[in-house]
Amino acid sequence: MRIVCPFCGERELGEFTYLGDAKPQRPAADAGEDAVYDYVYLRDNIAGVMSEHWYHGGGCRAWLKVTRNTLTHEISAVEPAAGAGAAKVGA
Amino acid sequence: MADFSWDVRSPLDRALVAGAYGAQGDAGVSLTEIRNFDLVQVMARRGKAGEMAKAAKARFGIAAPETRKAVGTSDATLIWSGPDQFLVLSKGGKHGIDALAPVFTGSASLSDQSHARVLISVSGEKARAMLAKVSSIDLHPDVFGVGAAAATSMDHTSVTLWRNNDRDGQAVFNLLVFGTFAESLWHTILDSAAEYGVTISHSEELA
Repeated sequence: MRIVCPFCGERELGEFTYLGDAKPQRPAADAGEDAVYDYVYLRDNIAGVMSEHWYHGGGCRAWLKVTRNTLTHEISAVEPAAGAGAAKVGA
Repeated sequence: MADFSWDVRSPLDRALVAGAYGAQGDAGVSLTEIRNFDLVQVMARRGKAGEMAKAAKARFGIAAPETRKAVGTSDATLIWSGPDQFLVLSKGGKHGIDALAPVFTGSASLSDQSHARVLISVSGEKARAMLAKVSSIDLHPDVFGVGAAAATSMDHTSVTLWRNNDRDGQAVFNLLVFGTFAESLWHTILDSAAEYGVTISHSEELA
């Protein structure tokens, strides 16, 4: 599997580290214990297209959001995750 | 209080043995460790990439690389190292951390890497063939021309790789590696280069 880093171009999998599901959003401070429990512990085991966080630690050290099909490993989109590249996202 | 006498040495001081290595005959690969350089990491603060770029342009007279490139001035090389960040490689303190700190006040965070990295210059007829064994990126001249740069890994070790101006009609690749990983990568490079014959040296001159 290869990932096309938006900053570095196509690179081998060994340069990247998988973090996990990119969907969960940190709940508001008053959201309650159940919402926090869901956010910290509960994950869907998706067979199909999934949004994931990957870290290009062996390259430009940017965090990426990768849209990947877990059945075929087909990657349909790669974009910088929020905060990756000071000017690119969340500036 | 004890007196300390700091002896500044290259991390490759022990591993590097100048001379010939590997196959006999004309050496296909030339390895030169470049010592005593100034290296500063410049990283834009959040939302300040534009200001950083302006400050760099004013300081160096050329735009700092915003993509995978290395650009040279008469006395410094600016090497892309990731989004909104680059390295400044120079000699003699003119563009060292003390000189650059006031230039980037407020726009970028600076970190002195002068004694943290090892700089290895790889050239020779078989340089590409040797690098192909340890790198997964395409170094073909059509893809990786003069001035191309990459943040990548060799033998699971992070490196900054860029292609210098050609010397004697041959490509010159420079790589920066973290000091503590340098000896390990050095041995891997020697193993990869041995079959082509190697000339090993060190220099104080930035190529």
